[in-house]
Amino acid sequence: MGHEQDEFADFYRASRDSCLRAVTAVTGDREVAEEQVAEAFARAWSSWGTVRRHDAPQAWVMRTALNLGVSWWRRRRREVPLAGHDAAAPAGPGGGVDPALVAALRRLSRRQREVLALRVFLDLDTEATAKVIGIAPGTVTAHLSRAVAALRRDLPPANADTNETEAIR
Amino acid sequence: MNEHDVMCQVRASFSGLHMDTPVENVLARSRARRRRQVSGLTAATAATAGAAVAVTLAVGGTAPAHSAGPPSASPPSASAGTGHASSGSPRAVTLAAFSVTSGPGDKTTLILRKGSQYQLDPSALRQALAQHGIPALVTVGTFCRSASPASAGLGQVLQPLSEDNGEAMAINGQAMPPGTRLSIGYFSSYVKLELIEDGSPLSCSSTDHQPAVHITPSGTPIRG
Repeated sequence: MGHEQDEFADFYRASRDSCLRAVTAVTGDREVAEEQVAEAFARAWSSWGTVRRHDAPQAWVMRTALNLGVSWWRRRRREVPLAGHDAAAPAGPGGGVDPALVAALRRLSRRQREVLALRVFLDLDTEATAKVIGIAPGTVTAHLSRAVAALRRDLPPANADTNETEAIR
Repeated sequence: MNEHDVMCQVRASFSGLHMDTPVENVLARSRARRRRQVSGLTAATAATAGAAVAVTLAVGGTAPAHSAGPPSASPPSASAGTGHASSGSPRAVTLAAFSVTSGPGDKTTLILRKGSQYQLDPSALRQALAQHGIPALVTVGTFCRSASPASAGLGQVLQPLSEDNGEAMAINGQAMPPGTRLSIGYFSSYVKLELIEDGSPLSCSSTDHQPAVHITPSGTPIRG
């Protein structure tokens, strides 16, 4: 158990940021994403014997996180007024990520965001992405192509306003 | 920008995002999940055994008035939700709209089931929580705040739990400062919670910005 726990801990530390970024890119909400990713990793540890043998354990975590029903209470948790903070501050749509990019991502379909997140943050190739999502490789290519085209149209060039795109928490 | 440039820009934009949750929290969450699954299985087994006993007694014609049985799935009623435990430990209450059970640890687990088909009985929930030492003000379709918020943060008292069929939270009644109670505002699609000071005037509203009812420390509601 000790060895397995160390192995899982190493996996968690190496993968958590990528998974968080991927799920945040899909959900558009860092607070919700962090909650879902933490729960998905907890489930991964519960099934570590299976997950560790998965072709892409990170993708297993991401899929699990996205499959978790977004709890209505957690989703509204920001509305829970804490003492002295009657109007609790919302988490922000993208957790500090460039708002223009968050807005552009929101205009994509969910499937396009999923494909983009798997390719960008988990470095999966077309075949692996198709397998994770359960669609044909050609469909992955089409989704990615459309997503990139939309982002290219909506986003300013990376060096157009460096200060703005570096406004990351 | 070509495809590679766009993907690099997306990657770079998210590079400042880091997951703060330590691995110990994830492991603890996993353990709590297993405990809940085990306790749920135990409760289901006990309920099945209880039902078998009740059926046996009924066949014999002498079923006791309070024979053990499976959790009621019927709409909550005062008697169903407010039974008193014969022993010192608080009784688990499982009704259609909510359940209140002991654990994890010294905490109490509250599950609120979502959906407009559930008719939450605020009195039944209040009394169920009271049995677990958690004073509460439960309102449906409205939410009450006190004029002077309790000093302790709600985060010290509540911990969200994973629940597939509703909303679950662990309530640490011992973390509630004396003289406070938990205000629970149950709406059709969400719930609001706050610690409120006993004796402090309350402002209750059905929306965030429109106080509908004021309640004096004596409990008298004033509309307006």
